[in-house]
Amino acid sequence: MPPVRHGLLRATALAAVLLAAACATRPPADDPEALAEFREANDPFEPANRALFEVHEVADRFVLQPVAEAYRDILPQPVRNGIRNLLGNLRAPVILANDLMQGNISRARITLGRFMVNSTLGLGGILDVSREWGVPGHSEDFGQTLAVWGLGEGFYMFVPLLGPSSPRDLAGQGVDFAINPLTWLGQGAAVDAAGWTRLGLTVVDTREAVLEPIDQVRATSLDPYSTIRSAYRQRRAFEIENREDGGRAVAPAGVTGFGQGVTQPAPPETRR
Amino acid sequence: MTSNRPTRTHIRAMDRRTFLPLPFLAAGLAVLPRGARAEVDLNRATAFIQQAGNELVAAINDPRLDLPARRDRVGAILRRTIDIEGTGRFILGRYVRQANPAELAEYNRLFDDIIVRNLSARFGEYRGVKFSLGRSQQRTEEDALVNTIIERPNTPAFSLDWRVSEVGGQPRVVDVIAEGTSLRLTTRSEYSAVIQRNGGRVASLLEAMRNQIAQLAAREGRG
Repeated sequence: MPPVRHGLLRATALAAVLLAAACATRPPADDPEALAEFREANDPFEPANRALFEVHEVADRFVLQPVAEAYRDILPQPVRNGIRNLLGNLRAPVILANDLMQGNISRARITLGRFMVNSTLGLGGILDVSREWGVPGHSEDFGQTLAVWGLGEGFYMFVPLLGPSSPRDLAGQGVDFAINPLTWLGQGAAVDAAGWTRLGLTVVDTREAVLEPIDQVRATSLDPYSTIRSAYRQRRAFEIENREDGGRAVAPAGVTGFGQGVTQPAPPETRR
Repeated sequence: MTSNRPTRTHIRAMDRRTFLPLPFLAAGLAVLPRGARAEVDLNRATAFIQQAGNELVAAINDPRLDLPARRDRVGAILRRTIDIEGTGRFILGRYVRQANPAELAEYNRLFDDIIVRNLSARFGEYRGVKFSLGRSQQRTEEDALVNTIIERPNTPAFSLDWRVSEVGGQPRVVDVIAEGTSLRLTTRSEYSAVIQRNGGRVASLLEAMRNQIAQLAAREGRG
């Protein structure tokens, strides 16, 4: 049984129930600025989202964050980098499919070339040889592909354990999961164990990558919920735009992202 | 002297000359960037960020300074690098008009305190930090975006974009952007959420800001 599917379905069902339970009040029509702000936030289920955010915060403080901190303390950075590179490389088929679906042949060629080089010379993806050669990676997901096809993100959602999202991005994650060859590859206890390990490492690696930003938000934000909502929206818009200037790779999805290994700027030698 | 005094016909001619181009002038003014900002030169903006960055890195890595001294030094550099007042006004957004003069004055004071404390606490901990200019420096409509790469021991490098604007004839930082996320936009949505969730009162934001400053001060005392 593919490991992610159950959790995803359950989270979506839970979200749907809670979303139906509480809606944000729309400001009166005689206050156009407030109305514009309401539309911009596009968070009609804000009360429910805030409740889910609190649930997530508890789970994060007691489980996710301590695990991510232990992961950082125990494993030295080169090992963590290797894991990050490996996870990014395992996602390459999904990135390639999305590059192609977006009609971006040059980025598809980069993804394919990186996958071939890193899978072989990079010892199965542990080393990001391509990046050292000045070909940094990028991420793509089906949520971004839908955006390129012209679909709006829809209302804001906060899904516990998955983080900030939207109907488009949540559906995109489902499609990415379905088109990933690893989802359908083989069966048996060993394959299941490998699948769970990959999922677990992805979660821990992603959380580790955002330890400082999240600490920062908690320490300095007057309202972390709306800070994260705004940051997620901006980040997604930036990713969809595919602005890649000066060797800076466009990062994968923020808190919910996978394979963070592609977020780093190009190494100093290849810069300038 | 009398010969210098303009006659009626003179005045009428002058009137015509002065007032004919007025619609064009008005149109020109309308498309110009609002406020007193002039266009910023990209090279100047880049040099400005490089200098401020070098000063910051020198202060952070100065072995003779302890943590509080480092924070003070960093705070002083930030105050002359960032357009704190303009950024504060941008962040308060539409509530600038709702706030009364006393509230606005207090907001400016609290915002200055918060931004300097937040940023100097953050940068003050970046021991061993290295900073370099990135490859992409670009102009936008009103300002320049200067890309920098921040490297710290035992953490992957990350890139930060600094939005530099011309404020009162001097280049000033008006925003910091990390991976496409602008600090002033997230802060604007954060502040407006606080006001909205407390009955649309600017006073409630000021209260939250005062609380935060007390917390930051307490943490600095411990650190």
